[in-house]
Amino acid sequence: MGSTRQETFEVSHFKVWMVASTVFISLFLQAFLPRYFPYLAVLDLPLLALLYFGLARRNPANGLLMGTFIGLMQDGLSHQPIGMYGIVKTVVGFLASSLSGRIDTEHPIVRCLMGALLYLLHQMVYAGLHRWLVERPAGLSLSRVLVGTLVNAFLAVLVFPVLDRFKKPA
Amino acid sequence: MQSLAQRHRNFLLLAAVLFAQLLMVAFQIKRSGDVRLIRLWAVTLITPFERLAHGGVSGIRSVWRNYVDLHDASRENERLKSELGELKLKLQRAEVRAAEADHLAGLLNFRTEHPEWPMVAARVIGSSAVDVTRTIFLNRGQKDGIQKNFAVFTPDGVVGKVLEVFPGTAQILLITDKESGVGSLLAASRTVGVVKGTGGPICRMDYVLNDQDVAMGEVIFTSGQDRIFPKGLPVGRVTATRSGFPFKTIELQPIAGLDRLEEVFVLLERPEGSEPEARIPAKGLSLPAGRSDQEPGAGKPRQNELAGKPKPPAR
Repeated sequence: MGSTRQETFEVSHFKVWMVASTVFISLFLQAFLPRYFPYLAVLDLPLLALLYFGLARRNPANGLLMGTFIGLMQDGLSHQPIGMYGIVKTVVGFLASSLSGRIDTEHPIVRCLMGALLYLLHQMVYAGLHRWLVERPAGLSLSRVLVGTLVNAFLAVLVFPVLDRFKKPA
Repeated sequence: MQSLAQRHRNFLLLAAVLFAQLLMVAFQIKRSGDVRLIRLWAVTLITPFERLAHGGVSGIRSVWRNYVDLHDASRENERLKSELGELKLKLQRAEVRAAEADHLAGLLNFRTEHPEWPMVAARVIGSSAVDVTRTIFLNRGQKDGIQKNFAVFTPDGVVGKVLEVFPGTAQILLITDKESGVGSLLAASRTVGVVKGTGGPICRMDYVLNDQDVAMGEVIFTSGQDRIFPKGLPVGRVTATRSGFPFKTIELQPIAGLDRLEEVFVLLERPEGSEPEARIPAKGLSLPAGRSDQEPGAGKPRQNELAGKPKPPAR
């Protein structure tokens, strides 16, 4: 049954350089922009990149590995234990890829909802993990999480169609 | 078993990856260790581009701030210019008020020093509309007791005489007008003569003999002989002298500053007395002995040049 649904939706393919450069650019911008525009720290561009490729490629293994890589890179650029974001993004990448086989991920509303829900999930998992492993609150405020949810969901609607242009023709 | 593993391959992979990362986090937290390799990779991957971007942004910022984004500086400049203009205006107003205060204080002092002269202060409200005549208009007139041929002066000196009187204004003939004549005397020699206007900024003193010594800068006072101006008011200062025929040519600059008059006094009576004026050095008033010999009638000013008999004002 599950396989039947997966066959209903088209699996998108991308050139490796496109995926790599998108992930790299998202990591770079995430590290670079908040320095000059602090309010842009609410964005999670690597998460959006992960969501896009996870939803488009519809491959859970790829999704979770990409999530692991992106999360570990983010951890490496932060001062927190390596693996915190790695775990979170692994989970998000896996879920995004798994869900993409069951829904039409190219619809703007679906993209918006997926962006919002997975961002919320990302923050919740991170907060829980932080409290469990580090035994300290993660320092996330509800208002910041809500703003981040709205902003990232909105951005997903804007950015994903741009990335759609780089899909390899079937 | 193999098919089960294949069916749940993704979940197994997820569990393995998560477990590995959990171990890594636990290692870092419990052992206070660090996974330096991953940090090194991440930093090595990203920071060179960050450095480049930072350099680019700094350059762009520098160019923008120093060359492009000058609208703030321009606005600031405009604001400062505006403030400077306002302050200049305030300073000018203050200076004008101070000058007015000084001027009014001078007028008040003059009036206090001469309580015997009934006078009214008047403000200059206009001037002649024709360039060839030298007249001004005052804001006082018949209602204020002003009559024709009343003397007009400032604390500095003689201005002119009332030419026409209207209910609320008076027209004044300045001493620089060609039609003007003021009975005058030289302060040092006590030589009398008539100061006439030239139509220009200076006046000329007539009826002074060529052998009369006249020093440059000598002050010429009213003689009171015209029965318009009280005796002893400064008229002008000698600026040039030369011999002429039949009389010496003496040019003088009016002392009253006729080109910048603001307030003047109008004497409210015609001088009747002939007592000597205290301002003039106490020498006897006498016409030069040879004056009548050189020109008939030169010993005393002609009637159309002087308004009346040579009598100083009543003191």
